[in-house]
Amino acid sequence: MTWNNFIWFALPAMACWCGAGTTIYHKRGSTPANWLMLLGIAIFAVFIIGFWMHLERPPLRTMGETRLWYSFFLSSVGYVAYRRWRYPWLLSFSAVVATVFVLMNLMKPEIHSKSLMPALQSNWFVPHVTSYILSYAMLGAATIGAIIQLNRPQGYAPGIFDLIDNLIYIGYGFLMLGLLMGALWAKAAWGHYWSWDPKETWAFITATAYVAYIHIRLRKGTASETFALWMLPVAFVLLIITWLGVKYLPAAQGSIHVY
Amino acid sequence: MTSINKRKFWQSPWGYPESIAVTAGIIAIGIILQLTVGSFNFYLLAFPSNLIIAGLLTAACVTMGFKAPNNHWVRWLSGVSMAVSLLMGLLILGIIMGFTPQQADETATNSKPGFDIMTRSWPFVLIYSLTLLSLGTLNARRLIAFRWRDYAFYLNHIGLWLLLMASGLGYADMERYVMYVREGETEWRVYDDENNIRELPLAIELKDFDMDVYPPRLAIIDRHNGQVLPFENPQFFAIDTDTPTGVLAGWTIQLEQYIHQAVRNSDSTYREVPMPGASPAVLVRAYNDSLLRKGWVCAGNQTQMVMTLSLDDHHSLVMTTAEPRSFESDIVVYTKDGKQKSALLRVNHPVSVGAWTIYQYGYDNNAGRLSAFSSFELVYDPWLMPVIAGIIMMMLGSVCMLWIGRKVKTTKHDLE
Ligand code: HEM
Repeated sequence: MTWNNFIWFALPAMACWCGAGTTIYHKRGSTPANWLMLLGIAIFAVFIIGFWMHLERPPLRTMGETRLWYSFFLSSVGYVAYRRWRYPWLLSFSAVVATVFVLMNLMKPEIHSKSLMPALQSNWFVPHVTSYILSYAMLGAATIGAIIQLNRPQGYAPGIFDLIDNLIYIGYGFLMLGLLMGALWAKAAWGHYWSWDPKETWAFITATAYVAYIHIRLRKGTASETFALWMLPVAFVLLIITWLGVKYLPAAQGSIHVY
Repeated sequence: MTSINKRKFWQSPWGYPESIAVTAGIIAIGIILQLTVGSFNFYLLAFPSNLIIAGLLTAACVTMGFKAPNNHWVRWLSGVSMAVSLLMGLLILGIIMGFTPQQADETATNSKPGFDIMTRSWPFVLIYSLTLLSLGTLNARRLIAFRWRDYAFYLNHIGLWLLLMASGLGYADMERYVMYVREGETEWRVYDDENNIRELPLAIELKDFDMDVYPPRLAIIDRHNGQVLPFENPQFFAIDTDTPTGVLAGWTIQLEQYIHQAVRNSDSTYREVPMPGASPAVLVRAYNDSLLRKGWVCAGNQTQMVMTLSLDDHHSLVMTTAEPRSFESDIVVYTKDGKQKSALLRVNHPVSVGAWTIYQYGYDNNAGRLSAFSSFELVYDPWLMPVIAGIIMMMLGSVCMLWIGRKVKTTKHDLE
């Protein structure tokens, strides 16, 4: 299965997700929404597996390939979190964002060659990148929650902080695993676990922002709650810079991570 | 904590306002130091001073945490408001660093407050040190009141403390060199990053160097200026026997035969010969609406000529230089005390000998597979063990956070 087949999986998957994201708001819509969401995820998974087999290496190298996983994980995580917490917006937002990333891949496909440079041929490669992408999906979902809450004049949605905090703890766990595995990998590949390369600097910034959120939440009080809520969109902007923006920064000329 | 609202600024017990003020003050002092005495000199921390500092730091944390866990000041120093302020301080310094191109040179700085050498600037070093003190005291204070159910807390915080302490203080003791060894020879001289030659208590013999490449790519170039077509958006066709047909700048390309290790015959065809001088070659058919061409294309190397397929008066089909798939050196390491160790060194697969780790670094890029030498990076890092221990503890701590999430009921109440 090559990149040329992508559109035949992308379109049905997006249709399923958007269908799920809208029917969820209708009375008696929750069963079809559940099935549509799962069907979309399954279609997408089939493409990823086929593409992986075609490439003979995990599709994790180019930006386009990592966006594939982001769509996949965000829809899956959104679905699981919806089943756990029962917020319909969680399902529809993750469906929309997953769709946006599929559209980006359709509009701006990138060259997908089979070659993988020797430094990337490591057992750390797959867990490192998937862990990061999973965490981005979780932290993205938590950010959506925070933004919705910030725009809610009538006070806290019931259980909203429990939801956000759990997503942050889990997302943070994956983020840190990704970072630490990256450090062990860098040690094996380049001789040092941390070189303050621009991508690493931004990974440090992102992790610090979420650790700060975790500690701000240890104290009660409206001021710290509001501050914590505002912290999340800011942290997510930092995350996006780390993930997508680093290569455009003047500070990143000569980074080993730019691809 | 209702008293927080009533007490005045600087009146104990301290909370957020004082923590923020202290953090900001320390950053300000750091900037002043940077402007007056210049950058922090990391090499002052070289052995044994780093060991002494580590000892003093640990002693200070343990004394405060064990002897006075309930003292106002100790609680403040190791409390949540200080942690948040320090983290925000690190965050802000980090963001400045993220936007400022950093100088690779250890001492050069073009910016007065040292933002372009952030990790060696006083504000960063001071906030980092205070974080170590705060975190260490917290660890001691929580260890004296040990509870098994706090395992996730210990893993994360002790792990982070070990990691920050050993990586920061150990930096000055790290040594990195590059060694070039010719095939069949034994070498003990290395170059440091200023290209000075040194002799190590360690020698490496290179028995053999070998590499493999990926199938290269095809492209159509303008013969006059060598540019790849189309100029605005150069196209390449990756050779892959699973997808033998492709389109390049209006030409359809069809692969007829691919030989990974090919040698040229006298009649300009190729045959398979597995030997170091061989190079990938491909027999292709290229056609557009009016023309059809067929022939061999080869990127060549130091022993074989390049072979291109001319398409019309201006254009040729060429092969790009193959990208390396893997390269490896068959080596023997000898130490002063007579030990010897054989290894097959590859990227991502270093070997360790004592506190030294040896990495496959490079080879003669122009010669590729024919390279007569291989280069190695040798890294000496005596502080590696506590760093790795910290990383592993934090990985376990992260798994705990994944697994437990935030326990909704317990956390909010029993912290103060
Ligand atoms: C990898 C980084 C870190 C993680 C994952 C982390 C995580 C946590 C978590 C989950 C808690 C609540 C646990 C509990 O209630 O037992 C906590 C508490 C705390 N953390 Fe951290 N933390 C990190 C770094 C830091 C740093 C750098 C500091 C200080 C500079 C710090 C200071 C504190 C303090 C003061 C508490 C409250 C503990 C108490 O009052 O006893 N943490 N941290």
